[in-house]
Amino acid sequence: MAGEPQALPASRAKLKMVIDGKAHEFPAGLTILEACQRVGIAVPFFCWHPGLSAPAVCRQCLVEIKGFPKPIPSCYTLVADRMEIITNSPKVLDVRRQMLEFTLLNHPIDCPICDKAGECLLQKHYFDWDARLARNDGSKVRKAKVVDLGRHIVLDQERCILCTRCIRVCNEVARQADLVMAFRGDRQLLTTAPGKRLDNPYSLNTVDVCPVGALTAKDFRFSMRAWELWATPSVCPGCATGCNIEIHAARNRIRRLVPRLNPAVNKYWMCDEGRLSYKPVHQSRLAAPTVAGAPASWDAALAEAARLLAAARDKSPSTLGMVLSAQMTNEDLFAFSRLAGENLRIDRVYLTGAEQGWCDDILVSADKNPNTTGARLIGGPTLRSAADLKQDLEAGVVTALLVIGEANSVGPLDSLPILVVLAWHRDPPVSAASVALPLAMWAEVDGSFTNRQGKVQRLHAAVAPAGQSRPGWEIAVRLAEALGATWTYANARQVFSAVCEKATLMSGADWGKPEIPVQLRFANSRG
Amino acid sequence: MDERAPSQTARRVVIGLGDAANLPEADELPTESMPLNMGPSHPAMHGTVRMVLEVDGEKIRSVDVQIGFLHRCFEKEAENATWTQIFPYTDRLNYVSPMLCNVGYALAVEKLLDIDGRIPERAQFIRVIVGEISRITDHLTCLAASAMELAAFTVFFYLMKAREWFWELLEEVSGARLTHSYVRIGGVVADLTDDFCPKLRDVLRRCRAAIADADKLLTGNRIFRDRMDGIAIITRDDAIGWGLTGPVGRSAGLDYDVRKDHPYLVYDRFDFDVPVGSKGDNFDRYAVRLEEMRQSMRILEQAMERLPAGPVLLDDARVALPPKREVYNTIESMIAHFKLIMDGIVVPPGEIYSFTEGGNGELGFYIVSDGTGQPWKCRVRPPCFANLAVLNKILPGLFIADIVPTFGMINMIGGECDR
Repeated sequence: MAGEPQALPASRAKLKMVIDGKAHEFPAGLTILEACQRVGIAVPFFCWHPGLSAPAVCRQCLVEIKGFPKPIPSCYTLVADRMEIITNSPKVLDVRRQMLEFTLLNHPIDCPICDKAGECLLQKHYFDWDARLARNDGSKVRKAKVVDLGRHIVLDQERCILCTRCIRVCNEVARQADLVMAFRGDRQLLTTAPGKRLDNPYSLNTVDVCPVGALTAKDFRFSMRAWELWATPSVCPGCATGCNIEIHAARNRIRRLVPRLNPAVNKYWMCDEGRLSYKPVHQSRLAAPTVAGAPASWDAALAEAARLLAAARDKSPSTLGMVLSAQMTNEDLFAFSRLAGENLRIDRVYLTGAEQGWCDDILVSADKNPNTTGARLIGGPTLRSAADLKQDLEAGVVTALLVIGEANSVGPLDSLPILVVLAWHRDPPVSAASVALPLAMWAEVDGSFTNRQGKVQRLHAAVAPAGQSRPGWEIAVRLAEALGATWTYANARQVFSAVCEKATLMSGADWGKPEIPVQLRFANSRG
Repeated sequence: MDERAPSQTARRVVIGLGDAANLPEADELPTESMPLNMGPSHPAMHGTVRMVLEVDGEKIRSVDVQIGFLHRCFEKEAENATWTQIFPYTDRLNYVSPMLCNVGYALAVEKLLDIDGRIPERAQFIRVIVGEISRITDHLTCLAASAMELAAFTVFFYLMKAREWFWELLEEVSGARLTHSYVRIGGVVADLTDDFCPKLRDVLRRCRAAIADADKLLTGNRIFRDRMDGIAIITRDDAIGWGLTGPVGRSAGLDYDVRKDHPYLVYDRFDFDVPVGSKGDNFDRYAVRLEEMRQSMRILEQAMERLPAGPVLLDDARVALPPKREVYNTIESMIAHFKLIMDGIVVPPGEIYSFTEGGNGELGFYIVSDGTGQPWKCRVRPPCFANLAVLNKILPGLFIADIVPTFGMINMIGGECDR
């Protein structure tokens, strides 16, 4: 930085500068790289990441500044008044090409077997900024190909381009210095710090930020080519934080979850636990409706469920209860609350959910349910707890139950004479149920969760519902029909609008635009 | 034709041919029009096409040409394929001259990429050579099939044999007899084989003889001339009005050949003539094609003479695949190969209409790119689509038997017309 101290002018001041011959104004405090990005000028980079500090180690973002003898890393240099920047002079392009040539010198010829191929920054930058034949035909420096770094991560040291993004993720996001660089020159390699493993709760973010295929997730490794994935925006169901994610699916199966930028919730990150929260979507799902344990058609099962519930209601409404789950979407919660109030006259509505777990002050919340806030809001003050349910069951106050979601936490329900269960999985309550109906999960439906901050966030269906399962609100509509009512909800959006009308806290929520899954191949390399 | 209802007509019994010949025209048996289906699968239909005729006896009153039986969603498929993956689809446009379709498509994309000035000269010469060979095979097919349908079966064998010699040559350079996919954006996929030129010279010599034989068997043949002369006349104005190009347009006196009027590749360096007809009838269309083959042979000889040495594919890793040796042994070329195959060539956003002289006339590609590895739109202007449309105008008034030579001389190619 030419030894000159960067004097920061008063904030909000606009700095006049020239980039590639065009005059621009920027606020103070921006780096040159960010300034270029704002005006749509492409500058390549490996080590810079918008969510991390900038060490300027890759030298890929070099630009010329008038008056400076050497090219300057733009990711590290702040904009200054009357600065003149050239990003596309032959000299700049040449030094960038030379840096790429160095980076490629010892890079293994792994594209056909590399997990990152197709979304690799090195591939992208070579193609965009170099695209010349190799000049070196010598042998490459060999390093370890399979290094087991931790619970979730495998490292290929040959592929590593030494950008240190992963080290900074550990230091700055997870706040644990697990990774370091060792040795120098072309022997330099990434490794764990002495006596450490890469086992922090945010370790999989290192795979996302890795510009090449050096760090790979054990869960995703070799399972799918990146360009065959279709990305759908969604929200992590792992805890009440509600990290914004992209579901990456192919052939109707979720292959991985990756974080999606939301500055107000999770920035660029998510925790390792959340990444694996897609597993239950494809595990031991309840595929078809059952009546008394035997498979039945939807019509028969719905008719039987309605008959049982109506009988319980007509006999004595006070013995009929409904169990909601804090993992249900707002739309499902609302539809069943309406069913309970208008059609079944249930006043004993309980809220269950996953048990409390560990938490930290980074992202992980102790409440492992994605929609506790929404459930409390829609359920209202009369909502009873799981403990109340246990008590009422033991006391025999409740003899008929409509359970939605997973009710494992409630305890054995075998003794109940009437038990209608809407379940995601083949849980024990399903085998005890008089009628069990398969329920579509969060990744299979359009809907919304309300996170711990009260933000209503949209889910988009990324895969088809498993087996014959259907979204909860739809089952509620059909149950209401079977009980003699006529509801007019035709899709989740209409239910959402109804929730917004009813629940004041959600009144500002927006359903948003329809999102079409994007194939990663044609979203181009993302890096 | 007499349209009186039977009841109003005085009936006369005709006995013997003598009486019939002396019958005044007005007293002919009254007839009424009848619908007649020709095709979609018919021995005298070159492609799969259906004509719904309204005939009055043997005379055609009106015709409704129905196309689309060979529709393969070319344009939609192209939107879902990378720029390079489209070449095999272009092979299947005009499948008797696939090289011309290859070249026409490649030129359009190259213009959009702004690399049309950098295509190696040898590649341009090779494109001319394989293209003109394709033009000859196109015309050979057209004339052979039409002659056969007019009962000149010998000619069919002579010309088809000649076509096969050419296709053997193209198979030698491209690996496929018919669906060559030989051209690439930036050049051609491989150089000509070592002894290609001597072999081609030999084939040209034999083909000249075959064409001369066919010429002798047909041009002076009374039966052939009776079926061709003065039949299905297209005027020059009609040719312009209906957008007729290629041999069909030129036979009607429209002196338009893209190779001459808007030269592309290296066509402006060759000495060749464009034959133009005077009457616009079936015979003119036959004669124009016969002469065009001879002119194509002239071009071929000049091109072989002046064929320069050098690369046959643009040396640019963003457009053309690097050599396999580099791909397997260096990371740079591996990445380039990967990006070109998986993402496709990145064509800058824009639109282009590029046109060449195909076997049947002006073969145009209108392409829109949105800057990704696939076209946003890839529309073809198939010459025989326009040429075929004119049948609705020229067939009425002719006899059913005239459909066969007329349709043959229009030379509808289903793959190209229906796309």
